[in-house]
Amino acid sequence: MIFSILKKDLKRKKTMNIILLLFVVLATMFVASSVNNIVTVINGTDYYFDQAGIGDYIFITMGENAIGAADKVLENETAVKEYRLENVAFGSQDNFTLENGEKVILKNATILQSLADAKLNFFDDNNEVVKEVAPGKAYISRKTMEDNNLKVGDVIHFKQGDVELALEVAGGVKDALLGSTFMGNARFLLSEEDYAILTADEMISKYYSGQIGYIDTDDTASVQEAVSEIPGIALNGDRALIRMCYVMDMVIAGVLIVLSICLIIVAFVVLKFTITFTLSEEFREIGVMKAIGIKNRKIRGIYLIKYFAIASISAVIGFFCSIPFGNMLMKSISKNMVLGNNNGILLNIISSILVVGIIVLYAYRCTGKLKKYSPLDAIRSGQTGERYKKKSKLRIGKSKLRTTSFMAWNDVLSSPKRYLTIILAFMICSLLVFMIVNTTETMKSDKLVYTFGKECDAYYVNNTKAMSAMRGEGKESIEACLDEFTTQLAEHGMEVKASVDVQIKYPAVFDGKNHMLTCTQGVRTKTTDYKYYEGDAPRNAQEIAITQRISDITGAKIGDTISITISGKTDDYLVVGYFETMNNIGELVRLHEDVNIDMKDAGSMMAFGFDFVDQPANSVIKERVEEMKDIFDTEEVFTASEYSADCIGVVDTMESVGYLLLGITIIVVVLVTILMERSFISDEKGEIAILKAIGFKDASIVTWHMKRFVIVSIAAILLAIALSVPMTHLCITPIFKMMGMRQVSYVIQPVKVFLLYPGVILGVMLISSLLTALYTKKIKSSDTASIE
Amino acid sequence: MGNIIEVKDLCKSYVVDKRQNNILKNVNFSVEEGEMVAIMGPSGSGKSTLLYSVSGMDHATSGEVKFLGKDITKMAAGELSSLRLDEMGFIFQQMYMLKNMTICENIILPACQSDKNTEKREDILKRGQELMRKLGIIDIADNDINEVSGGQLQRACICRSLINNPQIIFADEPTGALNRSSSEEVMKELQRINQEGTTIMMVTHDAKVAARCQRVLYIVDGNIKGDINLSKMTDESQMRDRERTVNNWLMELGW
Repeated sequence: MIFSILKKDLKRKKTMNIILLLFVVLATMFVASSVNNIVTVINGTDYYFDQAGIGDYIFITMGENAIGAADKVLENETAVKEYRLENVAFGSQDNFTLENGEKVILKNATILQSLADAKLNFFDDNNEVVKEVAPGKAYISRKTMEDNNLKVGDVIHFKQGDVELALEVAGGVKDALLGSTFMGNARFLLSEEDYAILTADEMISKYYSGQIGYIDTDDTASVQEAVSEIPGIALNGDRALIRMCYVMDMVIAGVLIVLSICLIIVAFVVLKFTITFTLSEEFREIGVMKAIGIKNRKIRGIYLIKYFAIASISAVIGFFCSIPFGNMLMKSISKNMVLGNNNGILLNIISSILVVGIIVLYAYRCTGKLKKYSPLDAIRSGQTGERYKKKSKLRIGKSKLRTTSFMAWNDVLSSPKRYLTIILAFMICSLLVFMIVNTTETMKSDKLVYTFGKECDAYYVNNTKAMSAMRGEGKESIEACLDEFTTQLAEHGMEVKASVDVQIKYPAVFDGKNHMLTCTQGVRTKTTDYKYYEGDAPRNAQEIAITQRISDITGAKIGDTISITISGKTDDYLVVGYFETMNNIGELVRLHEDVNIDMKDAGSMMAFGFDFVDQPANSVIKERVEEMKDIFDTEEVFTASEYSADCIGVVDTMESVGYLLLGITIIVVVLVTILMERSFISDEKGEIAILKAIGFKDASIVTWHMKRFVIVSIAAILLAIALSVPMTHLCITPIFKMMGMRQVSYVIQPVKVFLLYPGVILGVMLISSLLTALYTKKIKSSDTASIE
Repeated sequence: MGNIIEVKDLCKSYVVDKRQNNILKNVNFSVEEGEMVAIMGPSGSGKSTLLYSVSGMDHATSGEVKFLGKDITKMAAGELSSLRLDEMGFIFQQMYMLKNMTICENIILPACQSDKNTEKREDILKRGQELMRKLGIIDIADNDINEVSGGQLQRACICRSLINNPQIIFADEPTGALNRSSSEEVMKELQRINQEGTTIMMVTHDAKVAARCQRVLYIVDGNIKGDINLSKMTDESQMRDRERTVNNWLMELGW
């Protein structure tokens, strides 16, 4: 008999049961994919580094006598458990051309090495380790493939001095050390034979060679001190620093975590409503069963079996949907990394079972209340229950609203709990979209450009020029390079002041501890050209400014003195100010322009900056930047905002994530609207029929129902807008802080945040609610006779 | 007085499981303005279907239903809605009201919705309160619908049916869910309303309720088998005789 009741119930309440089924599918899909993704992202970089075998400390040396120098230091260092060195050669953009003669777009210094000698694991698109490469072929960094639209089989020509190589692209690889957005160096993995051809060249072997070292240690501080003795260090840092380089990739991963949590919240909030709602609809049947003598235990059993059955079927469907859905979410962040966890599918299964468990538990709790009711109470609850509990909040006699508007407002205010579910679901999704839009717009603006050096009108990224200038006569070569640009632009009627910042690593001592600090100095700039958030700009050669991270690492504060050894000469430098930078993950010391440094030792150089003497308007600057692209025959000339976006590197991905979020928001809005409206119609069948009987037109009923959704959507969007700025500060600023920023003043695009995106969300909701509300047309006025 | 309703060859059928069920079979009758007509008949005879077809709540399969000379079977859904809103009032056995509104608000809702009604909201409210006062339920004006008895709720439904000053009230078992005393109160109110000039057409199972009407139609298997004119009831003392007359008449018809 129990199963007969159950069968009839499933058939008779088909609509509500289908709605519940769909919500559970949705919840399972969100929960299973989100839990898996959260675990994957949290494991994120460490999982990747372990798979790649990156070790605990990394360094790169370059220049004369670089090869062999590291061995001497590391062999005698007790803190080093094990170390692996690979020999590499360095190239720059000018060395590489495509088949059509165009230059290959390479952002920073490029590394060429033998795959056979590689000490790091490199992964292909399927996350398989790349083990061998045939002569004449090369694996190259994935990002380089993307930047140049390269396909397997394309040929890249390398030429340096007398050495020429034609390299067929064998595939793209994920590079744990250099593949992050912040590093962005290209790596070419060659055959032993091709690499031997390179190193046979004396100039390459002498001036453009170096080593990359991967050290296993438990004592990074001692290793750091030891590494500071290795000559020609271009880059060094522990695992945390390399992890930090993935911070922008992790921003997106962070967004994914927040999104996942939001989806879980949305799923459970909606689920709770649906179960409470469907159970309240069952009261009458329960009362009748009690009245005819069926025991509480059995009644409860019927509903638990029902919810268990619905939840199980939905969970199985949801589980299968969660795998492609989760992969779609992960796709945006797994381009540059090998992400995963060892229990992927298991986590999806556990999450799906968890959803079933929660639903059954919740149903168990809800049906538990039935013990307290007498059969009559239950029957009465069925007849009057939810329907007759509410209190009118507005007064139609005093209201100027149209009847349908009044009814909509009154419903929302009288049943806030019911509509809060929708508001919460819409608000969470909208808020996420707005936060990402705010962040992306800020990244795309020129507001952050000061954190990458001096604020200029235009920037020109040319690593070849930078490298050759650095390896030439130092500062003189760099100034000659700046003069060349200035003359070239003057010939085209653009009078500019050119400048550039260089970065050099120097050994330093503070409070008895040795450090290797990255220092920056501008060529043709003054320390007063930069921004300082505390203290002053260095006024003489004995003063320096530092970043918060340098202060955290060394312990030095304003007023302290740090000993820095520059070109073999150790001097004391007084810290006089703090500044913000996102260069070198915020680890930077600014030297006064009078400090005499040998720029031949420079590890890297920023973009060349240009200030137009006639101080033109932004629109003119844009035109000139386009002209400069023609003059320099490159696309690598930027306005301040473009340069900022280029430096941050993930703006495109962030934009894609923003669209993905908008897409998910739309899906949530559509599903929640359809399912909620459908359950409202089911609940209000009697009211709709009576309204039609007394003369309300179909259009009025549809308008009434739609207006309720419009009210809650607008409330959700307004809340999301109001919270978007504080929430962006709360959630995104810490990420900028990790990159070296102290405070971020976000750029709010009112058209996007206040009109476009809310408009899209509202429009989608309107269409969904309209199409669903049209179902009320099926309820006839004569149904008043047949409604229970 | 002229006819407010004229029904000619009215047929209504449903198809269930590919079989056509003829509920109303060529029904013909008319209702004069100011009449109070009861429709009686056994369960499944087509009483409610007749009421819904005549009031435009349900579409007739064929035939004519003229309301004040206009054939409502030819009207579009929107026109019918306007007609029901402005010219007709409805009372049902289930006392459905909107859960999120007070009793008084439910009563005045049709007036607020009517485009024909140009009164201010305050005036509508006053009129609603006046109606409630007349029906003796003014004390529950601001109550929620779960705070009142069935009899009070049904009287509130009567107020709602009257708010737009309809030409006719259709009532489907208006006392079906009420106890005897509530039932009598409701019927007395309907009689009073009828005496003020509003036509009433109601479906009932109760001979006692029918006895209060001026005329009773008896329907069996979709056909009107009997039509009795009892004349207007003017005094409560006539009640016993009228009830006896109706019962005898029904027995003759096989009730």
